[in-house]
Amino acid sequence: MKTIALYSIKGGVGKTAAAVNLSYLSSLLSQPTLICDLDPQGASSYYFRITASKKYNSDKFLKGNKKIYRNIKATDFENLDLLPSDFSYRNLDIELSEEKKPQKKLRKNLEELSEDYQYLFFDCPPNLTLLSESVFAASDLILVPLIPTTLSIRTYIQLQDFFEANKLDRSKIRPFFSMVEKQKKLHREIILEFGDGPEFLAQSIPYNSEVEKMGLYRAPLNAVLPNAPASKAYRNLWEELRSYLE
Amino acid sequence: MRTSSKTVYLRLNPAVSTESLAENALFSGWQLKAYAFRKERREFYDTFEWQAFENEVAIVKKRRTLFLVDLKIGKETASIPFPTAPSSFFADALSPGILKAALSTLTDIRAFTRLCSIDTIITTYRILDDNEKSIALLTSESLCLADTEKQEPFVHLFSLSPLRGYDDEMELMVTSLTNDDNIAKALDFRELFLLIMKEAGISVHGYSSKINLDLDPDAPVHESARQLLQFTLSVMRANEEGIKRNLDTEFLHDYRVAIRRTRSILKQLKGVFEPEETAYYLNLFREIGTRTNELRDRDVSLLRQGSYFHDLPPCLQPSLKLFFTDIAVSRKKLHKQFCHYLASDACKSFLDKWEAFVHRQSVPDPEHCPNASLSTASVAVESIKKAWKRVIRHGRQVSEETTDSELHALRIDCKKLRYLLEFFSSIFPHKSVAPVVRQLKELQDNLGDFVDFSVQLHFLRERLAALPPGKEETLLAASMGALMAILFQKQEEARGTFHKTFEAFDHEKTAQLFHDLLKSKLK
Repeated sequence: MKTIALYSIKGGVGKTAAAVNLSYLSSLLSQPTLICDLDPQGASSYYFRITASKKYNSDKFLKGNKKIYRNIKATDFENLDLLPSDFSYRNLDIELSEEKKPQKKLRKNLEELSEDYQYLFFDCPPNLTLLSESVFAASDLILVPLIPTTLSIRTYIQLQDFFEANKLDRSKIRPFFSMVEKQKKLHREIILEFGDGPEFLAQSIPYNSEVEKMGLYRAPLNAVLPNAPASKAYRNLWEELRSYLE
Repeated sequence: MRTSSKTVYLRLNPAVSTESLAENALFSGWQLKAYAFRKERREFYDTFEWQAFENEVAIVKKRRTLFLVDLKIGKETASIPFPTAPSSFFADALSPGILKAALSTLTDIRAFTRLCSIDTIITTYRILDDNEKSIALLTSESLCLADTEKQEPFVHLFSLSPLRGYDDEMELMVTSLTNDDNIAKALDFRELFLLIMKEAGISVHGYSSKINLDLDPDAPVHESARQLLQFTLSVMRANEEGIKRNLDTEFLHDYRVAIRRTRSILKQLKGVFEPEETAYYLNLFREIGTRTNELRDRDVSLLRQGSYFHDLPPCLQPSLKLFFTDIAVSRKKLHKQFCHYLASDACKSFLDKWEAFVHRQSVPDPEHCPNASLSTASVAVESIKKAWKRVIRHGRQVSEETTDSELHALRIDCKKLRYLLEFFSSIFPHKSVAPVVRQLKELQDNLGDFVDFSVQLHFLRERLAALPPGKEETLLAASMGALMAILFQKQEEARGTFHKTFEAFDHEKTAQLFHDLLKSKLK
């Protein structure tokens, strides 16, 4: 099982859109795929029209394997399942801090799923907390969507510094530009300045108003409008990732 | 859209329409959306002995795929591509995977034969919740027997498969539907399977070669003996078709065992039937048995192919291939001959005559058949005692050298005892019979191995002697020599353990078991 986190310290950068579309593209290749919504806002769950069972909460999530297994729900797409988030996830950090080895918790809790799924995507909440650290340890790849703006770049550098300071494996971090508006000079300049970095993925995702409409369709953009410019970009991004992972 | 582990089948009351089903199944805000329509042919497979059914699975071919279905929950637990629908197949011939492994554990010797074909008209609906999220698939299925003139559906049913994570919602739907028997009845896959078999005129579990009679200990023994003989005849009859269709080797095997059992009853229950008549039938059964000997030998050789190849170094294996091709060719000829005999008037009229004999109601003439009216219990006890003593006596006489002929003869004595125990087992308490049979089986296994190796050795020796000179034949001769060396070693091992095995049988404890059995309170 390959584990890919969609992660950014900053919010509103296109994490959920990327997680939803990339996981959908992965499932199209008949590869059992799970998207794990870690954000208490539950945006990816919402996109798939899924709500967690009433009995499900952060407690169950922290108990792991069997409890998690029981709460996974099928999406309307073949080979794509989702573990919905619950509003109680907002307390995950506090609860994690009471665990023995919080950084290793997530990886341990998802161990059993590796028999069922080939790809696991985390849709992470925007912040840098204990839960994020647990995600870093559990992921093979940390995809960081970056809007080509100064603030985005700043948070990306913060992330790199954090990895450095905590002696984490920096090679897991793979940024890509997201919500790119080529007509904006600043976007162009930032891409020019940073895009050459070896860790950057070549494919960027253009700003596309259709992506915002996913909230209306409540389905992956690639499933509803496969020919939209952003859909094509996601497709290329997935291909790039796949050849990297394989 | 992955469905969960449980599919619920519902049999709708014929008077209820799909619409009213929807009304009853769906909660407020939910809706039904047509999703797909298709026709599908399903072919069901099992062995002659229902080994899949016995193990709570069904084997179903549909959509160019072979599925293993859990009879309890209706879940497809394994599948492999299976483009054709052969009338039978062996697990061994399937492509590797979970399904092959599962079927191989059921049997590696029996063929899976097609039981029946069902045409199904399927309409699938999605059940959407108030978020318009699919939560289950509702499938309407009309089943009719394929390839029959009557093309009317014999059952109309709905299956409800929740998507993963939506079992709670499904529980609610099923409860709401089945609360009222007038709407629908839940049907598990096992019931559905039985319904299909019934429609196809197939009796599930219609065959077992194991003796399963309920004899009356007080009944005159001629009646009980006839019951046994009726059973062995029914086994013979049941296997004829499979022998003719050449499905697997076990049809002939069971057929032969039935003949041996028949002869054993006739021979061991002396004074029960007319001696002249008995001799006549014994003779004819021997003849049928003899006609199958060579064919069975070829079957056994072919079944051993794998282990023979395994025993040889790779350089000697190619020559063996040709050897087995020859065996297969001669087997084909022998099979044809035997089928010809089975279809002959001589064989048919003999078996018809025998059928009349085993069903004859009259009491045998007491002058010629002094024991006919003795009670089943007394004859059982006496004959088992006699056979047991004979095994002990002959076993004790086996020399230190344990010659082939001594072991061959003792094996037959054991078989006679075993048959008697099996024939009469129903009149004894199970807990007394089982330990005795277990003890006997250990001895029989040892003797069986020994004889088995010696038969193989004999077979190879004969073949070797008949080999013409030639380069290829030299290699084959080398392979046979290597095999014979291995077989000889194994045979000597079996011979070497005989005395120890027999000692365990000829032991106070075993004797006590026999005493307990023969003195036990009969049912």
